[in-house]
Amino acid sequence: MISGEHTAFTSGASVELDVDYVVVGSGPGGSAAAAILARAGRSVCLCEAGAWRDTQQMPASLFGAMSNLFSDFGQMMTRGRSMIPIVQASCVGGTGVINSAIVVRTPDAILETWSREHGLGDFLTPEAVGRAQTEIESELDVAAMGEGQLGRHDRLLLDSLERTEREAHPTSRNAGACQGSGACLQGCPTGAKRSGNLTWVPELMSAGGSVLSCAPVSRIEFEGARAVGVTGRFRHPLRSYRGPSGARFRVRARRGVLIAASATGSAPLLERSGVRLPALGTGFRAHPGSGIIGVYPERVDPLIGTTQGASSIHHSDDLGLKLESLTLPLDLLPSRLSGAGGALASALAESSHMAMWVAAVNAEASGTVKSARLPTLRGGPYGKNIVSYQPTRGDLVRLRQGCATLARLHFEAGATKILPGIHGVPVELGPDEVHLIEEAPLDNRAWTWILSHLFGTCALGADPTRSVVGPDLHVHGRRALHVVDASCLPTTLGVNPQHTIQAVARLTAERLANEEAA
Amino acid sequence: MRRLARRRWRRTKVRVLSAVLPATESVPGIDPERCVEFLARYRREAPFLPRLALNLSALVFLLTPPLTGAGMRSALALSPSRLERHCEGLSRHRSYHLRQVTLMLKTAAGMVWGADPLVREALGLAPYAEDPSDWREA
Repeated sequence: MISGEHTAFTSGASVELDVDYVVVGSGPGGSAAAAILARAGRSVCLCEAGAWRDTQQMPASLFGAMSNLFSDFGQMMTRGRSMIPIVQASCVGGTGVINSAIVVRTPDAILETWSREHGLGDFLTPEAVGRAQTEIESELDVAAMGEGQLGRHDRLLLDSLERTEREAHPTSRNAGACQGSGACLQGCPTGAKRSGNLTWVPELMSAGGSVLSCAPVSRIEFEGARAVGVTGRFRHPLRSYRGPSGARFRVRARRGVLIAASATGSAPLLERSGVRLPALGTGFRAHPGSGIIGVYPERVDPLIGTTQGASSIHHSDDLGLKLESLTLPLDLLPSRLSGAGGALASALAESSHMAMWVAAVNAEASGTVKSARLPTLRGGPYGKNIVSYQPTRGDLVRLRQGCATLARLHFEAGATKILPGIHGVPVELGPDEVHLIEEAPLDNRAWTWILSHLFGTCALGADPTRSVVGPDLHVHGRRALHVVDASCLPTTLGVNPQHTIQAVARLTAERLANEEAA
Repeated sequence: MRRLARRRWRRTKVRVLSAVLPATESVPGIDPERCVEFLARYRREAPFLPRLALNLSALVFLLTPPLTGAGMRSALALSPSRLERHCEGLSRHRSYHLRQVTLMLKTAAGMVWGADPLVREALGLAPYAEDPSDWREA
């Protein structure tokens, strides 16, 4: 039963709300924190820049996904020597709506490093994070993918890894009832993916909370050093909309403001709102990745089965690599293959025989995210946030090794050829030509990268000169202002970050609720 | 006049995208009518920069046969074999920015081609449902 209030785009009178907490962003972090605060009896308002789409409203095509779900129409790119696309969503549920729903617990070694080098104190201990993640797994129907859910592209990778005596496992996903539609990128067409739009946001509404969708927050309001609310203006989801402009909204927060606008959005929002800290917007990190396509003599049907059902951390210690299977929608495949014209069309004719496997690098590169001050090309289109980031030569060396490993695994699995998609390397390679990948140019422009796991820009730490939020995730020098998304994670994780983001947000919200109770 | 020019330019873009992703013996290429519909939707729904990028990419594709050794004419005035050479040459050009032009065209062409029910049928895939383009309003 929904008893709270949801307000989508409106052009009428301005919307004013008065609540205990306002949460900016409804992705894995924001929705987790909002649900916990609501359970503790607090009145909560969740503000989301994108629209709220239910399962039956999810787009089917890639174009529909870009238009309806992706941030910036899927065209957000890093600045630097090469343009690397950044995959993020702008909708209720955030990137959890379009990701592959992979759930991996935070490695203890990462938490120990954060505690040792970033002065976390007793907040994010392995025990506390482990307890939060156990609870999240039970709430979000997390399960390892079973044989009936894995696709042939997953099974081929698992078998090949096992034959070469590498660690291999089916992925655990918050989609225990996954029906293998192969359409994670377009939002789940069956509702099996338990993203925030289907779980914690409806729960918030049931507890009497408020949701503002189509409501990008432009500023955080302060009284002295204390955050007291947020303001913005509703934005219509359709670009072709030519009606009256959206109403202004203002949410007053009696107890606190929680920011969860993503690793590319939180720092610019703080910057626009007058927060000045030396580390703000710096330390942007990611797991850039690239893939190798194998072509098999028999049909693989990559769009049948889970999008990402197979994974290996065998090379996470020695190379900092995670190997995974990945399905691309047919409409996206041409952009991933080399060539154009007849050669491209001939390659695509074999698409049902292809399996794509990817290597994600636990990269050492670091970048920045800034708020564009002017809507100019130099400052970024329309004043968008500017992400400056390029993988280092060391990252590229490791990616190259990862791609060569994937190529050998494809041949071990029975592929007749591979399509590396690397500039300067032949379009097709046979089993005896994998060394050409190992000799591929160490130039970011030669590789087809993608950034999907993003971290930092509001890093957590005890030292205000090197971090933005303190050990309890409050913003240094401000009161009642917290950051609860991927931007507060001070390093990369080497694993998919969604579960860690949810746990950190949950623990922060619990702490806020308990502090008040005490 | 302006409408006519826009219509002609749209037809030109359809021909460019069809050249980037032509038919094979077993799989259809880009359906021109679907492509016109796609371009109209793209114009309606895509932000300014992606629209600009697609138009500029089509223009660069038309004007660059001299850079790929395909001839001194506009790309669409080339013979089929030279057009093929131009497509391949541009996608493997040593200039990163020219390769990005092909990437933009392939992305747009892929969205038309991959959503075409005839293409999907030829590859053993179920057709896409219509995009609802709808959201929760209250």
